[in-house]
Amino acid sequence: MDFRWPDEYLAFRDAVDAFIQEWRSPELAAEIQQREGAPGPLSRKYFAALQERGWMRMCWPADMGGEGRDPIYQFILVEAMEYWRMPYGNLTFTSIAPSIGQYGTEHQKQKYLPGIWNGELTFAIGYSEPNAGTDLAALRTKGEKVDGGWKVNGQKIWTSLAENSTHIWLATRTDPDAKKHAGISVLIVQTKAPGVTIRPLKTMSGLTTYETFYDDVFVPDEDVLPPLHGGWGIIMHALNHERVGLSPTSNLARNYDVVVAELQRNAPHKLADPVVRMRLAELRMELERHRALAIRNAVTISRGAIKPGEASMAKISGSELRYRMSNLLVDILGRVGGLARDDDRAVEKGLVQGNFLSSPILRFGGGTNEVQRSILATRHLGMTR
Amino acid sequence: MDPDFDETQLLLQTTTRRYLEGEVPFDRVREHEEKCRADQELWQAMAGQGWLGVALPEAVGGGGAGLVEAGILVHELARRAAVVPGVEVMASAVVLARHADVDQSALLRGIVDGEVVVVPALLEAGDDFAQVDAAVDAGGKLSAEKRFVDYPDFATHHLVSAHGPEGLGLYLIERGDAAIETEARSCTGRTPQADVRYRGASARRVAGESAIGRLLDIGRALTAAQILGSMEVSLEMTVEYTNLRVQFGQPLATFQAVQHHAADMCMHVESNRFLVYELLDSLERGTAGSADAALVKASVSRSVPFVTMQAHQLHGGQGLIEENDLYFFTIRGKDRSLAWGTAEECLAQVAEDVESPPRWL
Repeated sequence: MDFRWPDEYLAFRDAVDAFIQEWRSPELAAEIQQREGAPGPLSRKYFAALQERGWMRMCWPADMGGEGRDPIYQFILVEAMEYWRMPYGNLTFTSIAPSIGQYGTEHQKQKYLPGIWNGELTFAIGYSEPNAGTDLAALRTKGEKVDGGWKVNGQKIWTSLAENSTHIWLATRTDPDAKKHAGISVLIVQTKAPGVTIRPLKTMSGLTTYETFYDDVFVPDEDVLPPLHGGWGIIMHALNHERVGLSPTSNLARNYDVVVAELQRNAPHKLADPVVRMRLAELRMELERHRALAIRNAVTISRGAIKPGEASMAKISGSELRYRMSNLLVDILGRVGGLARDDDRAVEKGLVQGNFLSSPILRFGGGTNEVQRSILATRHLGMTR
Repeated sequence: MDPDFDETQLLLQTTTRRYLEGEVPFDRVREHEEKCRADQELWQAMAGQGWLGVALPEAVGGGGAGLVEAGILVHELARRAAVVPGVEVMASAVVLARHADVDQSALLRGIVDGEVVVVPALLEAGDDFAQVDAAVDAGGKLSAEKRFVDYPDFATHHLVSAHGPEGLGLYLIERGDAAIETEARSCTGRTPQADVRYRGASARRVAGESAIGRLLDIGRALTAAQILGSMEVSLEMTVEYTNLRVQFGQPLATFQAVQHHAADMCMHVESNRFLVYELLDSLERGTAGSADAALVKASVSRSVPFVTMQAHQLHGGQGLIEENDLYFFTIRGKDRSLAWGTAEECLAQVAEDVESPPRWL
């Protein structure tokens, strides 16, 4: 038992921090926000610099172009980036790339990985459907075998980032006669392919998600992840990869820091109020509890162990604290806390208000917290299923 | 970053648990609770096993380990709801070993052997550790009224915070001194606690003001480990009970509403487990301070009523009767959440510095 972070991890955190301070700018932030994740002139340069550092694949095995570092490095990278909300490829980086690395053909690895690492290729995830949400294996988007590939028909929903992505990572039923979980394949579909229609769905937080429709979309055989019909395993593997940095502590800490700085600047009387100080103290306590669960999970993953309950705890705790914390912090700021990002008096471009409004997705998305609690109860605590 | 016990620590945990499960049946705990008296026999056995000196230097006969190991012991004692002053004596002993002004080796040897039992007496009517009216005069006589002293009559010595000619500090008082009166209180936890009056008791100064702070930090960290033990057992009992108890033709554990309550309990237990041992490890290494100890004590103190009350919700009436062992953990947990600084007191200490950025690594 030794709770100190070894020097090499702290040095890495400092290196990432220095890199962020070098690249962070209002212009880059504005470009990212405007283009919702699609590469622009500034972010291309930024991704090139990030790629040069080798951080995008440092945790990959050497024979896959990585350095074989333990996943704690990725955890630290994600935490450091999330504090300043800097892009790092996000799900494409944490989830899709490792899956291509693990399951993809040589051809697929060469075709997609370099583009992912330099930020040119970004993936939207096509899992959910109108009738397959939490019960994902009920998905009905179907692929029919045709000469040289597959003809895809169906509909996906919550295909976030679809409009600004180059590809969709599409869960498709390729064997209608197999059992629910056994007939699914993962197809890589170009968003520009004929027959793909993308319809925006505006959400209350100001972010846009998408519905995507597939009408006789042709996907060549070379873009089907092997094993054919073995997509469920790939999807589960991808989810496991997300889990090392799935609910960062740092962006919650940033919300806290932003509010304290604002109070110091513009409302010192509130910061002097013992009631406000007690509320902030409680938030620090809750943040510490979340940090504990997040690190615990990351350490377990870095040892190559699989403890689904620990990932579930980190996910539940981070998402629920995000709502409680942003809500309370907005209250402490008062009316100015309710100003949206397009208001020039909003605090830090409405960061905390935006986090409040976007907090629901983290609770029900990525496996609802209800499902996570059942996983925790049955697989971690051993309660009867 | 390694949040797991090493082999030696794991061995200490398993042997302690096995010993206590074998030697301290809950009915024996019930007996001592009824008499509101410390388990003398267990205390001697603990000395025999070398537990009392686990965190003390080998030079005084101790185990040469640290606060994590002391934490493991009080955690295991709490899992058995044992009626012994493990936290009180170990916290006092560590402070006497590390922060005393003069060498306390003779006393520490006595602690290791179980012959000397030192318990702190810090709190007064102001219900604030910083508010000390106790005074030692030029002749070394202590006048004080201390509140909520744990195991004051089982102890051979009290470690009392008081102002003396050399300033605020810690003083050792022998319990045998005729100028001491104790008045037992009937507390939630049903362990021996009393208010203590010192009317000119002979006092020996052993440490300065900063040692009081260290004593509070260590006491809070060890108490947090104790509280963790209470929470942990309530959760384990709940999982076991709901797996066995059948209603509507199926085990209670299969109902999602029940599972989700247990999941919430588990998150409190596991987040606090990390924080408690992180605190003990960091205090040992000198990288944690009083605000860290206060935060963790606040966290476990907030969590334990939640966890134990959810355990009762899922046990129903079964959990309320004293033939069932669940109540031990509810009452001990709540009682210890009040000791060494309540959640409110500890949070108020955290609130003194809300400006520093919280850590995320």
